[in-house]
Amino acid sequence: MTGLGTPIQGVTLYSFTRAFHSRQYDLDGLIRKVAADGFGPGLEIIGFSSLRGFPDRIDDSFVGHFRDLVSEVDLVPTSLAVNVDTGIRRDRLMNHDELVEYMRKQIEVASRLGFPIARVQISLTPDAMESLLPVAEKYGVTLALEVHAHQHGAHELILALRDRFEKLGSPLLGFTADWGATVSGFAPSLLEAYRRRGASEALLQQVVAMWNGFYAEGPPTTEKAHGERFGAFIGLAARNGRPDLGIDFAINGTGLFGPAPIDTWLEIMPFVRHVHGKFFGIDEDGEEPSVPVRDLVRQLVENGDSGAISSEYEGGDGNNWQDPFEIVRGEQAVQRSAAADAGSRMITDPAEARSILNSHLTQPVLG
Amino acid sequence: MIADRMIEQGTLTTEGGRTAIEVRIPWYRALPGSCIAGAALTIDGVAAPEESLRWTMNNRTFSFGELVEETDEWWFPLDSAVLSGELPLPDPEAEHEVRVDLKLYIPYITTDHGVLHIEENDTKTMKVGQR
Repeated sequence: MTGLGTPIQGVTLYSFTRAFHSRQYDLDGLIRKVAADGFGPGLEIIGFSSLRGFPDRIDDSFVGHFRDLVSEVDLVPTSLAVNVDTGIRRDRLMNHDELVEYMRKQIEVASRLGFPIARVQISLTPDAMESLLPVAEKYGVTLALEVHAHQHGAHELILALRDRFEKLGSPLLGFTADWGATVSGFAPSLLEAYRRRGASEALLQQVVAMWNGFYAEGPPTTEKAHGERFGAFIGLAARNGRPDLGIDFAINGTGLFGPAPIDTWLEIMPFVRHVHGKFFGIDEDGEEPSVPVRDLVRQLVENGDSGAISSEYEGGDGNNWQDPFEIVRGEQAVQRSAAADAGSRMITDPAEARSILNSHLTQPVLG
Repeated sequence: MIADRMIEQGTLTTEGGRTAIEVRIPWYRALPGSCIAGAALTIDGVAAPEESLRWTMNNRTFSFGELVEETDEWWFPLDSAVLSGELPLPDPEAEHEVRVDLKLYIPYITTDHGVLHIEENDTKTMKVGQR
C-alpha cells in the first residue's frame, strides 16, 4: 500500500488567457503575478500561446532570460504544453516522420527552458509514443499524454496507450490527467456565456438535458459513440434555430465536459505524471459546481500521487465578466482543503516541490 | 473563443479604394498561415470582393490562396494582423459598422469530418482613423 500523496500546487498560464490576449499582462508580468499571488509553486505554460517564435525561433538569450526570471521569483517549471498539430497542412495529415520531428523540436525547447514534462496530445498513437521515447530520453523530458474529454481513463485509445507504456516500462512515458474528462454537470459559467450570446432559456434547458442524458448513459468508450453525441448537439442547435451555436455546443458538450465517473482514472493512475486541474468557475459557496474537485484531490492523495496539479481555469469559454485571478485563488483553496480532509496536504513550498516532483517523475511506473 | 476582441477598435483605415482593419486572433494559441482558412470584411453591409482580400502578418502580405501552403509564418496571440480589401469608403467622417468573419483550422483536433475548423465573427462601429 502506498502512502498518502502530497500533490504540488500550481497553475497553467492558460487560466489567464484573456488577461494575456488583452495585453494586460505580458509573459514576464504573468509569471511575476503567479509568484506574487501564491498560485505556484508549479508553473505550466503552453508553448504556442506564450512563446513568440515557438518552437523554431527560441534563442539562447530568451532561454536565459526565462530561466533567470523563474529562478528569481522561485517558481518550479512543471510542464510545457506542446501541441500535436497533425492537421497543420491543408492537403493531408502529417506523416509519421514529420510528426516525430515536429514533436522533437518542441520537446527540445521544454528541456532548454527547464520543464521536466512535455504535455503531448491524443493524436499520438502508441507507435508514435514509442518512436518518441528516444527523444524523451535524449532530452530528459517526461512525455505526459493528456487524457482530455471526450476521452477518459477507460477509453479504448487511452487503454491502448497505457498497455504500450506498460510494455515499454519507461518512467518517461505517461499521462496528464485532465479533470475535464470527469465532470458532473454542464458548467453554469458557460450557460451564462451562451445566455449573453442570445441563447434562449428553452434552448439551454435542452442542452443541459442532453448533457445530463449522456452523463447518465456514461462516457463514450469509442470514437464512434463520441461522433454521435457531437452530431446530436449540432442537430439540437439547428432544430432550435441557432445553427450558429451548434459546433460550439458540440465542442464544449463533448470536449470540455466529459461525463466519465472519476473511478475511470484508476485505470491509468500509476501512469499519471501530471494533472490539469481543469475547472469552470467557483460559486458563492466557494465550491466548483460542475467539477468534483474535492473527490479528485482525495483520489490523488489516496493513490499516493505526488505530482503537480496545474489549476486550469477554462476562461476562454467567453466568461469576460469575472476576474480569473480570483477564480483560480478560490479553486486552489478548495484543492488545499480537500487534501487536508484526505489527511494530507498540497505542497506549496518551492524547495519541497522541486524535491517531490523530481522523485515523482523518476519513480518506476509499476513498482 | 475570444471573438469579442477580434476587431481592434479604432484601426479602420482607407486609401485609394482599399480599406483595412486590424484583427486579433480569436483563439488562445498561435496558428500558422495554413490554418487561416478564410475571411470576410464587410462595412455598412457591403462585403469586399473575396479575391481582393489580403492578409498581412509579421510584415508579410498574403492572398488567402497563398496562405494555404504557409506553415512558417505564425499568427501570435499578441499580434494584430491586417485584413484589407477593395472597398471604397466615400464618407470617411461617418461612423461605419465593420464586420469581420474568420475561419480557422484547429490543427491538433481531427474529427471524422476532417480537421476541426471554427468560424468566428465580430462587429464594431468606428470612424476611419488618422493615418
